[in-house]
Formats: sequence, structure tokens, C-alpha cells
Amino acid sequence: MEDNCRILNRIVEINIANVKYTDLELSGNTCFVGTNNFGKTSLQRAILFFYSANSRGLGIAPSQKPFDEHYFRNENSYLIYEIRTEDKPFFVIVYRHNKLVFRFVDAEYSPDYFFNENDEALKMKDIVAGFDKRGIYISNQIDTFERYRNVLYGTETDKQLSKFYLLKGNEKYQNIPKSITNVFLSSKSSIDSRFIKDFIANSLTTENSSIKLEQVERQLRQFNEKYSDIETYLKKETQQLIEFIDKKYDQVHMLKGAQMEMADKLGSSLRYAETQNETIIKASREKEEEIEKLAEGNEEQKTHLEEKQKDIREEIGYYDKSIREANKKLKEYKDKNIDQAVEKNAEREKLLVDLNIARREYESLTSNVQSIEMKYSSLIEQLRNDKTAYVNKINSRTSEIFNHYNELQLLQKNEFNKKDAELKQKREEALTDLNAEVTSKQIEFNELKAEEKVIRNTRFYENEIKAQETELADLRAINYKNKSERAIKTNLVQTNQKEWENLEQKLKTASAHQIQKTNNEIIRVKNEIKAIEEKLNVQHDALYGYLEKNVKDWHTTIGKVVNEDLLFRTDLDPKIIADKAFSLYGVTLKLDDVQVVSKTIEEYQFEKNERNAIIRDLEESLNQFQTSNNEEKMLAADKFGKQLGELKEDLKVLNYSLELADKREKKLILEIEDWKQRASTEIEQSLSGNKQKINIIEEELAILNKKKNNLLNDFNTQFDKLKIFNDERLADLKGRQETEISELEVEKKNQVKEYEEKETQLSSEKESNFKEKGVDNKEIKRIDSRIKELQDALKEIEQYSQVVNDYLKDKRDIFDKLPDFIQKKEEYVKTANDLSTELEEIARKYNIKRMELNKQKRAFDEELIEFNNGINYFTKNFRETPVYNKYVDIIERAEPKKTNYSVMDLCTQLLKNDSHFNEEYGAFQRYVNEFAGKFRLENHFNFVIRNDASQGEYERFAQNLRSFINEAKIELSIAETATQIGLVTDSIATKVKELSGQKDKIQHIITLIAEDFKKAEFEESKLIEFIKIRLEDSENKVYKLLKRIQEFREENGLVYNEGLFNTDFATHKNKEISNRAVKLLEQLRNAIKEQEQEEIRLQDLFELRFNIKEGMNETGWTHKIDSIGSTGTDILVKAIIYITLLHVFIKESSHRSSTDFKVHCIIDEVGQISAHYLRELLRFAKNRNIMMINGLPNKSGLEAHYKYTYQFRREENNNVRIFPSIVTEVEA
Amino acid sequence: MEDTINFNLPKQTHDIFAVMARGNFISSNGSKDGMNRLYDVINNPDNFDRLQAYFNVIRYNIERGNNFFYFSKLGEPNSELEKKLERFERYIDIIDLFASMDNKIGIGSRFRPGEISEECNANVRLKQKLQKIPLYRSETLHNKVREICDLMSRDSFLELEDEKSESYKVLDSYSYLLDVINSVAIYEDTSLGGGDDTQGLVYN
Repeated sequence: MEDNCRILNRIVEINIANVKYTDLELSGNTCFVGTNNFGKTSLQRAILFFYSANSRGLGIAPSQKPFDEHYFRNENSYLIYEIRTEDKPFFVIVYRHNKLVFRFVDAEYSPDYFFNENDEALKMKDIVAGFDKRGIYISNQIDTFERYRNVLYGTETDKQLSKFYLLKGNEKYQNIPKSITNVFLSSKSSIDSRFIKDFIANSLTTENSSIKLEQVERQLRQFNEKYSDIETYLKKETQQLIEFIDKKYDQVHMLKGAQMEMADKLGSSLRYAETQNETIIKASREKEEEIEKLAEGNEEQKTHLEEKQKDIREEIGYYDKSIREANKKLKEYKDKNIDQAVEKNAEREKLLVDLNIARREYESLTSNVQSIEMKYSSLIEQLRNDKTAYVNKINSRTSEIFNHYNELQLLQKNEFNKKDAELKQKREEALTDLNAEVTSKQIEFNELKAEEKVIRNTRFYENEIKAQETELADLRAINYKNKSERAIKTNLVQTNQKEWENLEQKLKTASAHQIQKTNNEIIRVKNEIKAIEEKLNVQHDALYGYLEKNVKDWHTTIGKVVNEDLLFRTDLDPKIIADKAFSLYGVTLKLDDVQVVSKTIEEYQFEKNERNAIIRDLEESLNQFQTSNNEEKMLAADKFGKQLGELKEDLKVLNYSLELADKREKKLILEIEDWKQRASTEIEQSLSGNKQKINIIEEELAILNKKKNNLLNDFNTQFDKLKIFNDERLADLKGRQETEISELEVEKKNQVKEYEEKETQLSSEKESNFKEKGVDNKEIKRIDSRIKELQDALKEIEQYSQVVNDYLKDKRDIFDKLPDFIQKKEEYVKTANDLSTELEEIARKYNIKRMELNKQKRAFDEELIEFNNGINYFTKNFRETPVYNKYVDIIERAEPKKTNYSVMDLCTQLLKNDSHFNEEYGAFQRYVNEFAGKFRLENHFNFVIRNDASQGEYERFAQNLRSFINEAKIELSIAETATQIGLVTDSIATKVKELSGQKDKIQHIITLIAEDFKKAEFEESKLIEFIKIRLEDSENKVYKLLKRIQEFREENGLVYNEGLFNTDFATHKNKEISNRAVKLLEQLRNAIKEQEQEEIRLQDLFELRFNIKEGMNETGWTHKIDSIGSTGTDILVKAIIYITLLHVFIKESSHRSSTDFKVHCIIDEVGQISAHYLRELLRFAKNRNIMMINGLPNKSGLEAHYKYTYQFRREENNNVRIFPSIVTEVEA
Repeated sequence: MEDTINFNLPKQTHDIFAVMARGNFISSNGSKDGMNRLYDVINNPDNFDRLQAYFNVIRYNIERGNNFFYFSKLGEPNSELEKKLERFERYIDIIDLFASMDNKIGIGSRFRPGEISEECNANVRLKQKLQKIPLYRSETLHNKVREICDLMSRDSFLELEDEKSESYKVLDSYSYLLDVINSVAIYEDTSLGGGDDTQGLVYN
């Protein structure tokens, strides 16, 4: 048997480390004897490398040279392992070709293959060539340790290599090299359950199968931080702060905007003032010149018209005088009854003819009595002449008196006229001065009146009012447009919000549905797994287990006909009856074509794994679904959030614009009112000046009129006095004249009466004489009276002839032209009136124009003063302030433009507003600081503001916060965090499950070990009564929490929490689950922190306890055995445990059919063990097909128990020589 | 512990007591040692009533400030109050300094002592204010500011948020100081020294 099994038969070292060549047989228990540092351990490592093929798992300290460098120093360094098989041995060559590689050779080892005739080791290519030459199969170079192990442990599929195996391992064959390695590496340690745990765990797991707590802690921290950030964000106080920030930001923004606008206006006004200074001065000067020119032109025109007016007045005077004189003469003529006189004068010629006829008649009648006639005619004539002479004399005297008095009267009249003229002249002179003054005042008065009219008609600040009215109209139009835009956008916001909500609801429903579906499916699959597990658990005690143990190939017989449920019943009590071994209750069946219904354990295991994989897939797909669901949510949030954000921002802008526009509108209305008020005030002011002047002039005029009236009254009194004196004087003269003339007339009358009496007497005498002579006296008398009448009539006519002649002359020269004079006068008067009107009009126009120009000039002057004042104010009171520095860019870069505001007002307002702005900004900053201070320094929302942050940074902070709200980023963050808690718990659960999945294996191994311990009866020596081992639950706090999380996860499925935060849609149940999850994670985090463990490995999943009884000593159930007995006993117990472990692992990891192989157990120092114990130990190992390789420091007799003993010696050249020691083997 | 159960108190009661009984504050924006959690616990109306009742038994009263809590002692002797006032007086100058900074330090502000000392170095007025603050014997301005921060951290008005960068955060309890300052009225004492300009403080 021993010869037919597979075993590492030989190890050959060619140029390995300090060994030039050594060839050691190892096919039995082997012992290396040598003092320290002679290479015992190195050789043991080389043997271990054969099993493990892992250069890093050989217990070489990091400070030492790595395995390949230390062992394979030369090109021709070879490590050769020969394996004995059932028939022909083969060997493996390990060499260094950049890295360590392997070749299998289908032949027994022979040094000839590796050395030349000079005993020099060949190079690999020569060796390969040698094999080829000899026709020995040598495999291709095997580059990986993994492939080498596959070949060695019989899992290689390559047919050429598949025969080079040591044993046929199953899928767990990796445990064998791991176990051998672990025994070797932990052989120096004391007996502690931890080492056993490590041993078992390390044998079962790979390096990666542990839960890295750093990673978990990181995940937990990330979750916790996010959770805490969100919690902080959702707090009432935080929300309140957000509102404050939002509000304050708007205010600050608005104020800043207004300030900037004002700064721009200030800049524009300043630039304008600077650029306009010269222009305005020039314009003002031009206006002045224009006014002067206007005055000159007006004066010229006025003078011209006044001269014309003077000429016309002279003409009017002339005609007036002529008309007045004509009327006077006419009146005088009328007083003299000129019409009657003219009429009578027209009869003169006829009267002269009648007189001549009467005289001739008279002469014919008196021709007979001519002498008498003559006598009496001469007498009468004489008398008449006397009478005439007397009358003439009296008349002459009367005339003389009359003339004298007339002359006196005339003198008086002249005197009066002279004095009257003098007075009149005086009066005229006085009146002329007064009138001139009155006229000038009147003109002034008229001018003022015209000016008042102009002022009343003038629209002050018309341009400003018009500009503001236009602005108001524009503003209202924009407002209207903005309002409709706002309505549209509000609608859009509502629509988008609704759409978003619908989509969210849809996604939520889909998610809930999917979770429900997946959970149901998982529950179903879990039930199936449970059923399989139940079968697997009971299979040992059921019919299945019985068949496995006792009936070879039962699957192909019973397995085809048995009911599956029957297989797993434990109450069937199966027994084998030899003669019916291959029949069914005595009936044989031909089952070749019948399908096998039973399943192997592996198949059940496979099914279980498959279902676990299904669960994993389901969870994975749910995860994916959730991820895509979240992604969709995020996309929706991104899409709608952005849109809504933009819309809301637009709305805010619109609202802000409308608010501003409203304010502006109100302001404009007020300003227009103000301008109008100013205009009316301006009118009133202008009028008040004007009115004052008018009043003064009116008063002056009144005074002048009074003065004039007084003057006139004075002169009238003088005139009256003069007239009265004149009239009295004239009356006196006339009275005296009349008295004297009447005296003369009485005298004349008396005398004429005498003469007439005498004449009558003479006429009577004559008549008596004629009578006596017979003459018709009566006829002569009639004719005579007729002549007398005619003569009287002619006389009377002759008396007025001069007046009539004068009259006729005047009539011809004057009276007939009077209508022409009147008409001409009227024409001149009209022309004069026209000229006056024209003059007035010119004066009015001039005044208006002058006022307009004055106003313009005044405006320029005022503007100039205002500009200069503004610039001065700016320089003195503004430029040095921080406000200027703040807006210097805007102010200095502004375009020159006229604004409605003065520089001074703008400066004052900017300063005033800045203080208000600073107050508001301070509050805004405080809110931002307080808000940011609520969050961690490195919060995932990035709500961080530096203490020395600029205004821009604070504003950006507020903008980002606003976007955050508008885009509902908190929802995303909540969703992410909810997903994260799901992922974290899931990841933890998966890791725990993965790791604790191996706990079953441990349980299985422990059971096997316990059973193996039971078999280890040390009957002969009675040294060790028993070694018991049992498995207990882990005491590791972190693992316990991890386990609770896994259980929580199993219980609640994937925790996609909607109740993670106190949001509206969190149900009570959800909230409770979430709170539990959060709490668990927090506990875990704290535990990780407290425990300071880097990872949770398989060994942390359970506790091992031993109970060992040695002689009378029983340790009791303990996880650490400090000392059972003597050191030798301890080493023995330890070695027994290791060998048991190794045995169990080899059994578990090799194919059932593969039993004909042996492996080595390398335990270095066994020097302190007694010979008796050693023999027990070797026997214990031998019973388990394990060969021992041990190290001894020196020869002590113990080596006698080993088949091979090798000694180590260091030679002079520092090389180590290993040679067999001659001992007599004591049978183990 | 038994009491805790009888009163149905939150399990953090001990932690709360440990902080506040030292005369410290629990602020909502504090993050060290789970201070914000403690704040949330006290701020919960159910908890508050229970805690208040519990602490009243041992003659402590929980006082609520703007986002912070602290203890006042029932029937505290005047001598204790005077001591507190004396302790407070040194804060007047500190707050004056903080309020005079270009970047005013308020609740939630984060700053490094270096920033303050730099600003004080560059500004004579601030430098004088800093130098005027009593009780400190540090030679450099920087160390003085550090000591101030240290004092304020100990009195739980500041929190050393990042030791590496020496970054402090102003806690909500800072408003307690501001409130006290605001309730200080300055009066002129005319009764002593006949027209002397002596000024005094009155705490309202």
C-alpha cells in the first residue's frame, strides 16, 4: 500500500540558496537535525512551496529577501520535486525565468538530466534538449502558481498534464495547501482558540473574503454626514433662515441695483456736467447777445413807427384845427344870419332895377312943378342932409365910442387870450411832462400785463413733464407686457410642477410596485432555499444519508425509482439485506433507460446556490431598477427643476421689475405732480413779481393821474379866474359903451325927430303947394314911398354886402372842403390807431421774445450753477467716501448723459442709500453665516462661506441656495441618501451574508474535527483522555451589529426609504423602519470607532472553545489554553490538533475516490517532546495518511522514530551540506 | 438611572446634564460631541417638559435662548451672580473687538485666529482693542487671539471645528453674549465726586 500511493518522494536542490546540491528522500516521516541558521527552515519552506506554490505565503519576513531571489540565485538554480505514483514516478522542476516557473517531467529523477560531465548544472534549454533527446516528455513552462496547483491537485483539464497529480482534489482543494501552510506557520504559537479559528478561517477563505471595516466606516460616515446635512437642512430654523436669506438677498439685490443705477446716473450727470460746462457758458452768452440784438431791433422799429405816428398826429392836428376854425367861422356866419343876408343879397339887382323904374316915374310926374319941387326938394334935401350930417356925426361919435370900447374890449380880449394862452402853455407843458410819465408808466403797465398774459400762457418744465409722461406711458406699456408674461410664466410653472409631481408619483408607484414584486419573488425563492436547506440538514439522518454511506452508486439504482420526499424522511430506519441488494423488494428492474430522480448533495447545493444567485440577481435588478428610477427622478428633477428654476427666476425678475415699475410709476406720477406743482409755483413766482410791479405802476399811475387832475384843477381855477376877470371887464366896457351910445342915440333920436318934424312941415307945405297947382300928390307920394322902400332895402343889403362877400369867399375856400378835411382826419386817425396797435403788438412780441430768451438764459445760468455746485459737492463731500470707491468703476465709466437729477441730490441719495444698504447687507450676511454655520464644514451641499468672503461670494451663495431650492435639489439629495442607506445596508448585508455563508463550512469542519478528536484515542498511553471542541456565537460587537443589519435587511428587504426624513409622504411604518436602520448604522459606526478593528474576517464570526483532559487535568470549556501540562504535552496537543485539522481539510478537499495519497505535515520545532509522545504523535499522523517533517536542534534519540533523518553542516565556503544520518528506525 | 426611567427621560439626559451643569451651553449648530443631537433632544417639546421637571428637582432650570439652551440655578445667591457678572465683563471687550472687525464675526461665522490677529496687526484701532483685553499675558497678538478663542471654546461660545486648520465656528450661544451686552445700560454717576465723569454699567 505504502508503495502504491502518491507522495512527495524526493526533493532535489541544485544551486538553491547556500546548498549546491542535495537530494533528499521524503517518502516517510522525516527529521532534519541541525543547529539554528543552518538552513532547516529554508529546506522546510522549499518542501512547503511544493504544496502551496505561493512564494508569499512561506512565512518569510518582509525584511528578508523574497523567496525567488534567496533560493534561485543562479541561472541554473533548480528545485526538483519527485512524486511517486502508483506506477512510474514523475518530477517537477522549479526554476527562475524572470519569475518562478514549473515544468513537469514524465520520468524518475536522475541527476544526469541536470549535470554535464563536469558536474556542472546545465542551463534549462540544455536540460529540455536533453529530455527531448532522450524522448522523455517534459511539459511546457507553467507560468502561474494557480495552474501548477491545478495540475498538482488534479483539477487540470489538459490531458498531457492531468496525469501529474499528487491527489485528486475537489473544488475546495485550495484548503489543502493552505492548511499545510498554516500548520507550518502557526506551529510556534501557543494553543489559543484564536489560532485554530485563524487556521480554519484562513484555510477556508481567500485574502479578500473579509469585511473591510474602513470601507464600511467610510460608507457609514458618508451616509451619516449626508443624513445629518439633510436633517439640518429640513429643520424649521434652517428653513426660516432660508426664507430670510431669500428675502434679504432680494432686498440687497434691489438696493444694489438701485445704487448702481444711481451711481451710473451720477457718473452720467458728472460727465455731462463736465462736458457741458463750456457749451452752456457759450449758449448763455449767445442768449445774451440775442437779447441785446432783439432790444436794438425793437428800438429801431419803435422809433420808426413813432416818427410816423408823429407825422400823422401833425396831420391830424392840422385837419383838426382847420375843421375847428371852419366850424367856428360857420357858426359866426350863422350867428349873423348869413343865410338871410345871402338870400337878400341875391335880390339886390332886382331892387336896383325897381328903384330906377320908380325914379323915372317920379320924375315924369313932377316935371310940371319942378320949381316948387325943386325948392322943396332942396329944402327937404337940405334938411335931410343936415339930418344925415347930424346922424352921421352922431353915428360917427357912436361909432367912435363903439370902436373905442370895442378896441378896449379887443385889448381886453387879447390880454385875456394872451394870458389864457400862457396858462394853457404852462398847463400843456406841465401836462406834457406828466403825460410822458403816465405814458411811460402805462407802457410799462401794458408790458407787464402782456408779460402776465405770456406767463399765464407759458407751460413751465414742459419738456420735463412731457419726458416723464412719455416715460410713464412706456412704463405702463412694459408693465402690461410684463404682467401678461408673468401670468403666462406662472401658468407654466404650475403646469411644470404638476407634470413633475405626476412623473414623481409615477416613478414612486413603479418603484413601490417593483420592490413589492421583487420582495415577493425573493420570499418565494427563499422558501425554496429553506426547503433545500432543510433537506441538506436532515440528509445525514435520513434515508439519503444512509444510502450515501452504505450503497455505492445508489443514484443509478434506488435514485431512479425512489420518491424524493422519501429520501429525506428520517423515520424509515433503512437496513441492507445482502441478497436483495440490487432488487426492489426482491424484484429486479432494468433501470438503464430510467432517468435518475434523486439528486446528489452537490446538486442540492448547486440548486441552493442557484437560488441564492437568483435572489442576488433579483436584488441586483431591483437595485438597477432603483438606480434607473432614481436616475429618472434626477433627470426629471434636472429637467423640471432647471425649467422651474429658470421660470421661477424669471418670475422673480418679472415680479421685481413689476415691483420696480410700480414704484417707478408712483414715483413718476409724484414727479409729474411735482413738476406741475413746480411749474405752477414758477408761474406764481413769476406772476407775483409781475403783479407787484403792476401794483406799483398802478399806484404810480394813480398818483400821476391825481397829480394831473390837481394840475388841471389848478389851471382850471386860474382859467376861471382869468375868464371871470375878463368877462367882468368886458361887461364893464360894454356897459359903458352901451350907456354912452344910448345917450347919443337919445340925443340923436330927439334931434332926428326935430328934423323929421321940420321935414313933415316942409312936405305939408309942398303938398299944399302942389294941391294948389293941381298935381296928383297922392301918386307922387306913393312913388316916393316906393323909392324910399327900395332905397332902404338896398341900404340894408349894402350893409351886409361885405359879410356876404366874405362868407361866399370862405364858403368857396373852406366850408365846401370841410367833408374832405373830416374824411382825411379820420383816415389819419385810423392810421394813427393802426400804428398804435402795431406798436403795441411789436412791444408785446418783443416782450414775449425777450422773456423767452431771458428764461432760456436763466435756465442755462441756473444749469451752470447747478453743475458747478454739483461738481464741487462731489469733489468735496463724495469722492473721499467709501461709497465712491465702491462704485468708482460705474461712476467713472458712465457715458455723459443728461438726467433728471442733480449731482448733489444723487451724491446725497447714494450716501443715504449706502448706509441703508449696509444695514440690510449686514443682516443678509448674518443670515448667510448663521445658515452656513448650521452645516458641517464639509457638508455635501457645499453650503460654506468664508468669514472674509466678498460681497460677490455672499451673493453667489444666495443665488446657489435659490437654485438649490428651485431645482429641488434637496429632493434629489434625500432620494440619493435614501438610496444610499439602502445600498449601505445592502452592501453590509451582502458582505455579512457572503462571509457568514462560510460559517456552515466552519460548523461542518468543527463537527468533523470533533469527530476526529473522538477517534484520537490515546488508549495506550492514557495520556490525553479527550480533546473536545465546540462552536459558539461570535462575541465581536461589530460583527453582531453587522449581523443585526443583515437580519434587518432580510426582514425588510431593500430599504429604499421614503420615511428617512419627516417629509410629507413618509408613512408611520416607513418612518419606524428608517429610524431603526439609521440607528443601527449609527451604532455600527460607533462600534467600529470604539473597537478600532480593521476588518471582520471569518474567524470573527464565531468563537471556539476547547475542553481538554490530560490525565487528571481538565481545562473546562475555554477558548485559550495557557498550559495543559508540560511543554511537551502542549506541543503534542497542538500537533494533534493541527494534524486533525489537516486531516479534516484533506478529507474535505480531496475527491472521494482519491484515497491513495499521502501528504506531509511540517512542524518545525518538536525537540521538547518526549520520545514516547513522539511515537504517539507519529502514529496518530500515520493513521491519517500524514507524514511528519520535523526539525530537531540536535541528535537526541528522537530521530530514531523517523524514516529519514538528515543532518545539516555548514562548510568552509559557507555552503550548506545536507546528508542523511544513519539511524535505526523505530517503528512508529 | 432609576430616576431616568421614572421620569421617562431621554437617554441623553446624563450627557445634557454633564454639559450644562458646567455652565456651558448646548447650541443647535454645535457639532462636537453630538451637541446638535443634544439640542434636538431638549428641543423636543415632550422631552423638554420632562427634563425641566427632572432638573427642577435638583434646582436647575433649563433656559431657552435663540437656538441654544443653558442652565440657570434656582435661588442662586447674589455672590454667585456677581461672580458671573465679573466673568462676563471680560467678554465686553472681546465682543467689541469682534464687532469691529471688517468681516464681522457673528453666529455661524467660521474663522481662524490668524485672520483676526492679521487684521488687528493691520488696523491700529483693532490692535488697541485687542491689547486692551485683560487677563491675557500672551506676548504676540496671534497667541492672544488664540487664548481668547480657547476661552470662548471652553465657555461653549465657539467650537474648534478643524484642529488642523485651527478653524473655529461661532455657536448659537454667542447670541447670549450679545443679548447681555444689549441689556447693559450705561449711566453717569453724579452722586459721587460732584460732577465727576464716572460711568457705570447696569445690567437690565
